Amino acid sequence: MAEIWIFAENREQTLELLNAGRSLAGGLGAKVAAFALDGKLAEEYINHGADEVLVLPSLAEDQPLESYVSVIAEEARREKPDIFLIGGTQRGKEMAARIAARLNTGLCSGCTALRLDEKKQLVMERMLFGGAAVQTVVCTTRPQMAAVPPRTFEQASPAKGREGKVRELPPVPGTPVTVVKRTPKVRESVDVTEAKIVVCVGRGVEKKEDIALARELAQVLGGEVGCSRPVAEELQWLPEDVYIGISGKKIKPELYIGVGVAGQIQHVTGMRDSKVVLAINRDENAPIFDAADYGIVGDLYDAVPKLIKELRNALKI
Amino acid sequence: MLNTIACFKWVMDEADIKSDPKTHELIFDRVGYKISDYDRNAIEEAVRLQEKHGGTVVGVTVAPPGAKQCLKDALSRGPEKACFINDQSFTDLEPGQTASILAAAVSKMEYDLIICGEGSSDLYAQQVGPALAEKLGIPCATYVNKLTYVEEENKIIAERKLDDGIEVVCIQLPALVTVLPEINTPRIPSLKQVLGAAKKPVDNIGLDSLEGTFSPCLKTTGILAATMERRRLRFGTEAEDIRKVVEALLKEGVIA
Amino acid sequence: MGEEKFAAIVVGAGPAGSTAAYLLAKEGLDVLLIEKGAAPGSKNMFGGRMYSHALHKIIPGFWEEAPVERPVAREIITFLSGDRSVSMNCQDLNWVKPPYHSFTLLRAEFDAWLASKAEEAGAMLACGILVDDLLVENGKVVGIRAGEDEMFADVVIAADGVNSIIAQKAGLARMFSPHQVATGVKQVIKLSAEEISRRFQVEGENGAAQLFVGDCTRGMRGGGFLYTNKSTVSLGLVITASELQKARYKISELVEDFKQNPHVSPLIEGGEVVEYSAHLVPEAGLNMMPQLCGDGILVAGDAAGFVLNLGYIVRGMDFAVASGEAAAKTVLQARKNSNFSRQGLGLYEQLLKQSFVFRDLEAYRKAPGFMENRRMFTAYPQLATGLLSEVFTVDGTPPVHLLGKILSQVRENGVSLAQLAGDSWKGARIL
Ligand SMILES: Cc1cc2nc3c(=O)[nH]c(=O)nc-3n(C[C@H](O)[C@H](O)[C@H](O)COP(=O)(O)OP(=O)(O)OC[C@H]3O[C@@H](n4cnc5c(N)ncnc54)[C@H](O)[C@@H]3O)c2cc1C
Ligand SMILES: Cc1cc2nc3c(=O)[nH]c(=O)nc-3n(C[C@H](O)[C@H](O)[C@H](O)COP(=O)(O)OP(=O)(O)OC[C@H]3O[C@@H](n4cnc5c(N)ncnc54)[C@H](O)[C@@H]3O)c2cc1C
Ligand SMILES: Nc1ncnc2c1ncn2[C@@H]1O[C@H](COP(=O)(O)O)[C@@H](O)[C@H]1O
Repeated sequence: MAEIWIFAENREQTLELLNAGRSLAGGLGAKVAAFALDGKLAEEYINHGADEVLVLPSLAEDQPLESYVSVIAEEARREKPDIFLIGGTQRGKEMAARIAARLNTGLCSGCTALRLDEKKQLVMERMLFGGAAVQTVVCTTRPQMAAVPPRTFEQASPAKGREGKVRELPPVPGTPVTVVKRTPKVRESVDVTEAKIVVCVGRGVEKKEDIALARELAQVLGGEVGCSRPVAEELQWLPEDVYIGISGKKIKPELYIGVGVAGQIQHVTGMRDSKVVLAINRDENAPIFDAADYGIVGDLYDAVPKLIKELRNALKI
Repeated sequence: MLNTIACFKWVMDEADIKSDPKTHELIFDRVGYKISDYDRNAIEEAVRLQEKHGGTVVGVTVAPPGAKQCLKDALSRGPEKACFINDQSFTDLEPGQTASILAAAVSKMEYDLIICGEGSSDLYAQQVGPALAEKLGIPCATYVNKLTYVEEENKIIAERKLDDGIEVVCIQLPALVTVLPEINTPRIPSLKQVLGAAKKPVDNIGLDSLEGTFSPCLKTTGILAATMERRRLRFGTEAEDIRKVVEALLKEGVIA
Repeated sequence: MGEEKFAAIVVGAGPAGSTAAYLLAKEGLDVLLIEKGAAPGSKNMFGGRMYSHALHKIIPGFWEEAPVERPVAREIITFLSGDRSVSMNCQDLNWVKPPYHSFTLLRAEFDAWLASKAEEAGAMLACGILVDDLLVENGKVVGIRAGEDEMFADVVIAADGVNSIIAQKAGLARMFSPHQVATGVKQVIKLSAEEISRRFQVEGENGAAQLFVGDCTRGMRGGGFLYTNKSTVSLGLVITASELQKARYKISELVEDFKQNPHVSPLIEGGEVVEYSAHLVPEAGLNMMPQLCGDGILVAGDAAGFVLNLGYIVRGMDFAVASGEAAAKTVLQARKNSNFSRQGLGLYEQLLKQSFVFRDLEAYRKAPGFMENRRMFTAYPQLATGLLSEVFTVDGTPPVHLLGKILSQVRENGVSLAQLAGDSWKGARIL
């Protein structure tokens, strides 16, 4: 019987993939098996749609999560799943690529949509050219693998009294990569994906302090401040969690305001679904203006204060 | 002494790709090519390690013969040699194929460390690096934003930036890393470096000299340009214009 | 390679620079051709048509291998005035028989090809390098500086285009003032090859060149152009920078209006813009020509102001090629006498004077002055369109003789007969 496998490094994404997995299983009449990093999760996964839970052994303190690759690939080689969905966190993407390489099969990474065609083949979508295009692929080898970014699917909802097997996997052999230090990320309170209004700062902002300008604009509108990738990574002026784009957050706010953002395709891909887009840029040929409903061509240091003032009047704040 | 291989890809400049809003087809006329953005960081990192620890840097690419210009560009960024793995059939390769082709060529080369970019600008599959490591049977560390080589123990300390935080790992060489753009700022080649590049050696490796077959696993069934309906109205910064914008936003009902 | 010295360093891989580098390399000199763009032509734009004669002389039958678009068979000049337009439309099939009269082309491909010819001939091409200064030793140019790097040569050829900083550094030229340059903008619009041939009534591979005078520049000095490439059309405007500044128009907006113009929009309907670019054109022709050479340096192409701008027509490619050729010949001779002083390079000016370059520029010397005349871009388009539409209009009102029609139109457009007579006489002599 065909099997759909699911692996993600955390509970939330496992539940998301269980949702996707179940709907595929319906069409295929397949079983769904989910990997669990902790036996305690087995029951919950079963309630959320897993027919079998494969419990991974615990790792040594200095082993990175990616050490599971060998065990998982071995298991797959034996059990020959038909479909293998992996949670596309950074670790997940590395593991997916390595497992696919070991199994000599195809992997659709950054997979944004899944469906079955009439031949019951898995049809997968992903972005090309920084999001300028959407590519649909099918996989001619087995398993058909996809690395699915977090929050692509809703979490599966639990069903009472579902039955399922639980199986322990063999221990992981020693691995050549040893962890010498871990610094967990302090979770940001702001979630740009939830915000109704996002003011997005780009490298057009000259100094870190000047982000205050964007903050004020966001405050007036009751929105959050996001940024482009270089502002978070190269400049490190804002946390990783708030940068928008193909490799960052995808947002769908009512209003997106780009402040000194060029609007390269990789960025636009992250804000394409905004209801209304306002862009402020001094370069009239900046690509952001093609992605904007309203474009203010001019210096942000001139435009933003005026905009704030005008908004204060209009909104009587 | 550290022998490093930097993998780089010659890609279309995505900024030049246009699309037809009606047919949703991509328009590739007039597109320029470039070294994939983050591969410049890969090359730069390799060169910096060499400047610090000595050794060699070889730039390696898999491409159709037509991409020859990429060699001068890559070599002007510091590697003393380029390895041009080319064949007419090496177009639209999927990451798995690219990794296998690279593995077939690289396995015949002397190396301690392989550096790839985090992802290529066109596919951004983020697969070739880790897949190549598997094919070569060497360990890897992905998403690295700080890299140090410990000469006496012949190992690297790599700081990985991940969704759940920073993880510092230690790996015995040979190994592979994929680097994030923030790991360094690539230098802009100088006139002398550009002239020097023309004199540097290039190994041409053809399909016939590679062992193995490199057939695809994925089949592309369609490519649709992502298009967007936007008003594209322009305003200036005069008070009058700003007022118009605010009124418009109010009318849209997106602010209140 | 610190003390490397070249026989010649050519700054700028446009038609002027690449031609010079090609000819010098062919003679076995080691030439360094430096281009600031990531690739030759990547930063360059022009309207769209090159007259073949100059390059044919250097690379006979170049069209066999060069990436040209269409040979131009049809020439159209259109006067725009509100709802009315008048076109002069001429097709000559001799123009599309070898040696072709002119070709439309796209610079990115064409410049890259010409530079590659220089490279094949043995020239060293360095792209992505901005030359920012000259090396001067006791008054003589001995090389160039790019960033940290210095590179030496017997002679430097400044082929760096309009507003040549190299010629300025050598003290041979001054920065242009806004009324000495025009701003050009252009969009490349995609259409099917068949559709283009149909819309412009040309056979198969043949092409058309259409120039526009009148509304498209809102009466400002300049004009619009449209050139048909294989499967795109190049459409744009050239307008005197000073007038643009005065009028405070955004030229990008003027182009959008131009595309909306009812006499233009049908020509590009359904086309997708695939490229947008802007560039300066030197305008004042010979009147603003810099010194053409100094000790150890020659100036060629746009850098030397070798461009004809008649407002609605711009021509410089063939001058660039020919001046590049003259520069190369001069360097070769200077090498024989191993004398690269201003005198040693004196041949350059002679060669140019004997060539069509000076002859043509001379012939149109007064054109800029004539072009200052606003009537050319306002009253006359109205007059011409008004007149012809009257000629064709039958609406039951009593007929008026042609002369009467002319007179009434002239009056309506507030042009005095003296002006009309004067201008047409001048125009006839100059253009
Ligand atoms: C594989 C890959 C993935 C990527 N993923 C992402 C991603 O997920 N998200 C992302 O954002 N980027 C991503 N990028 C990077 C992306 O290509 C762009 O480089 C980046 O988005 C540019 O950021 P920016 O607009 O802030 O900076 P810049 O490109 O430097 O643009 C700055 C803009 O500000 C304007 N400006 C400057 N000063 C002023 C002023 N005073 N007033 C008004 N305007 C001013 C300038 O005209 C310019 O347009 C990716 C790239 C690659 C290759
Ligand atoms: C809008 C417009 C329309 C035109 N239409 C036509 C037409 O239809 N037909 C025609 O014949 N002519 C036309 N022309 C004129 C024609 O484009 C020029 O006369 C011609 O390009 C001159 O060639 P060139 O080699 O002298 O200069 P360019 O073609 O400008 O080449 C100069 C080169 O030098 C490089 N460069 C500049 N500075 C440096 C530096 N410091 N270091 C290194 N490299 C540098 C530039 O990047 C460029 O590649 C038009 C021009 C414009 C602007
Ligand atoms: N054709 C290629 N030749 C050489 N290296 C490549 C090629 N394609 C991808 N790479 C390397 O693999 C990395 C990730 O590519 P990708 O898996 O396509 O996102 C790139 O940053 C390069 O370092």
